[in-house]
Amino acid sequence: MDPVIRCSELVKTFGATRALDGLDLEVEAGEVHGFLGPNGSGKTVTMRIILGLLRADGGEATLFGGDPWRDAVALHRRLAYVPGDTNLWPNLTGGEIIDVLGGLRGGLDDARRTVLVERFDLDPRKKARTYSKGNRQKVALVAALASDAELLVLDEPTSGLDPLMEAVFQDCILDARAEGRTVLLSSHILAEVERLCDRVTIIRRGATVQTGTLDELRHLTRTTITAELRDPPSGLTDLAVVHDLQIDGHRVSFDVDSSDLDEVVRHLGPLGVTSLTSQPPTLEELFLRHYGDELADAGVADLVVEDGGA
Amino acid sequence: MRSLTGLGRLVRLILRRDRVRLPVWILSLGGIVLGSAASLVPLYPDQTSIQQYVELFGDNPALIAFAGPGYGFDDPNLGVILVNETQLWACLGIALMSIFLVNRHTRAEEEAERTEVLRSSIVGRHAPTAAAVVVVGAAGAVLAAACGVGFIALGYGVTGSVAFAAGLAGCGLVFTGLAAAVAQLAGSSRASLGLSTAVLGAAFVLRAVGDIADSGMRWLSPIGWSQGVRAYADERWWPVAVCLGATVLAVVAAFWLATRRDLGSGILPQRPGPARAGRWARSPLGLAVRLQRGTVVAWMAGLALMGAVYGSIGDDVEQMIEENPTFGDIVAQLGGADVTDAFFATAASMQALLAAGFAISAALRIRSEEAAGRVEPILAAPVGRWRWAWSHLLVAAVGTVLVVAAGGFGIGSSYAVVSGDAGQVLRLTGAALATVPAVLVLAGVAVALFGASLRLALAAWAGLAAIVLIELFGELLRLPSWSRAVSPLHHVPGLPAEDLRALPLLALTALAVALTSAGLARFRARDLQVG
Repeated sequence: MDPVIRCSELVKTFGATRALDGLDLEVEAGEVHGFLGPNGSGKTVTMRIILGLLRADGGEATLFGGDPWRDAVALHRRLAYVPGDTNLWPNLTGGEIIDVLGGLRGGLDDARRTVLVERFDLDPRKKARTYSKGNRQKVALVAALASDAELLVLDEPTSGLDPLMEAVFQDCILDARAEGRTVLLSSHILAEVERLCDRVTIIRRGATVQTGTLDELRHLTRTTITAELRDPPSGLTDLAVVHDLQIDGHRVSFDVDSSDLDEVVRHLGPLGVTSLTSQPPTLEELFLRHYGDELADAGVADLVVEDGGA
Repeated sequence: MRSLTGLGRLVRLILRRDRVRLPVWILSLGGIVLGSAASLVPLYPDQTSIQQYVELFGDNPALIAFAGPGYGFDDPNLGVILVNETQLWACLGIALMSIFLVNRHTRAEEEAERTEVLRSSIVGRHAPTAAAVVVVGAAGAVLAAACGVGFIALGYGVTGSVAFAAGLAGCGLVFTGLAAAVAQLAGSSRASLGLSTAVLGAAFVLRAVGDIADSGMRWLSPIGWSQGVRAYADERWWPVAVCLGATVLAVVAAFWLATRRDLGSGILPQRPGPARAGRWARSPLGLAVRLQRGTVVAWMAGLALMGAVYGSIGDDVEQMIEENPTFGDIVAQLGGADVTDAFFATAASMQALLAAGFAISAALRIRSEEAAGRVEPILAAPVGRWRWAWSHLLVAAVGTVLVVAAGGFGIGSSYAVVSGDAGQVLRLTGAALATVPAVLVLAGVAVALFGASLRLALAAWAGLAAIVLIELFGELLRLPSWSRAVSPLHHVPGLPAEDLRALPLLALTALAVALTSAGLARFRARDLQVG
């Protein structure tokens, strides 16, 4: 089956700024796809191209196999969108705006709408001008989630939500996945992405640097091993696959590529392992790995060393 | 005075933010007042013509309501006419300027959550309000002073010009203070604007009733105080002191109210709205109607009221023109056998200029929706750009027809009462509608510019300003005759004085449609300009 969203080699320039520079993104049907990148890396621009609000200068984007610019109206029947910065009509109430956005999409599921308004603890009788950022975000979320769209395009949907509402949101996305909907989720909250997403794409300066399932991404990076040994650690220093070795008496700690784990464990065995912890890289480490030089520029040195001086 | 800490910095911040806005307000209001003042000089060259003017105005309640008490009519001079023609409108203008600017820098700032950031730094509780009052009060004073100096330069009496300016500045100050106090009361920026404007409306009505009945009711109105200086007619100065006193009271009240409420909330209660939308929410057209209907109704009421004033003097026009040859010349140039009809044709084109203001702002609603990012969720729904834009433009076009018709209806119905001829209602409403195609051309220009870019779209206002200049002051400024042809209104047959010719109206309509379509075609091909 064709992917729901496919972008290849997307280029978009604004004057002298190259916002997208050969970006690739593929979202399969039924998956929750995390879209990660620092501010200004091109996430929102990509989403707007997918929605036909902007036109790509180069490369190709398809949505449900169609052209997002030319077939915008037909394709939009099948998706719902939550913008990163939700701007609402100040003189309409939250409830009215949910109905406007739903009505344009051909109507909402009323039962689901009622449940969502309640779950997100939203007062629909307040004028939008009195809403906080979090409440504006809730209006857009309820309108999108109460629709029966096959695809949800969510641009940092939880910025401004409190942890309680963040948990409600995560439940809603898991429900959506269970219903077989496809979700493209851009986010800065890596724990959220780790919990919700089947696959992630990490971009940087308008280009994709890595894409795959979290397991696949982890596989490409090193695991941190900490072990207590009965015998003094010997020979570990000679192993080429061991990085950043630290020895403290009988206690050792080092990093190892996932593909070399087997060899290291076989070497540790004869030394008599009394305790062993293996720590796969967190998404945060995966993410930061790609921005080592930017972090260094910003004066954040420690994190760079941690992933082996990449 | 720790509650005013940071005042100087905040004043500089406002001046920096409004470095364009303030001069535009001052120059445009000052330009209109001084333009009118200049145009009166050749119209009333001698004492006879001045006397005729005074006789016309002396006993017409509709004219008194829209001019003033007529101080100095017993021993008139040109200055008295200047006061009667411009003072009320100058007062309304400066009051609106004060209300808009004060609200912009108090309540609107609070709503945008910028006041919060400022107040969290070393800034006193009342400093933001005080800074707005200082800047806006000063802007009003500069505007008033410029008018005063301009009057003197045009040859009006010095003492009277100073009194006019002092009263005007006083009016600006009072409404600056009132707007600051109201900003504390209302629950939102929009409500604050509405409430302040309502206070201005009440001030207008109180002095209108007071002037017509020649009663003390006029002293309940700050506009009445401003007119009470009796510029060019035995001036007195204590009303200026009343204005200053009221301003101080209002500002003190604003400070006091500010200590009794939380940042972001009002003193007046907020009413909850409907939890569900009506049927209108199902289509972009329904949404466009819902968003614009209030504005359309307000413009209809305004033009109908203005039309009623024009209509009420319909019977006096003939006599007025017979007695003042200069007037006669001007009306004759507009072409027509019947002077009353020629007058109504002029009134219709005046109203068309105002309606063009509505038409452009209604058409540019698509611009403000795009600029504010509100179009993004709509176009992400299965709604195409063409359909979305046309929804708003259809509302703008129908709204324009309604607004113009309301103006014509106002003229027609009040003239029908004065002349006892009920047929005038339909006749003059129809005459006004002949200007609709020309008005739509101006809206079409706005859409054409919008298609190119959001910034460029604002140039439509400069275009309207140029056309107002050509239509109102073209004669006075001796602009070349070809410049008049630039104005679409120039090509409209001057109904009811002239015969209806279909060709120019059809051509103008076609031009409006072509400009709009060209603009939308470009809009569909360009990137959305959001965030």
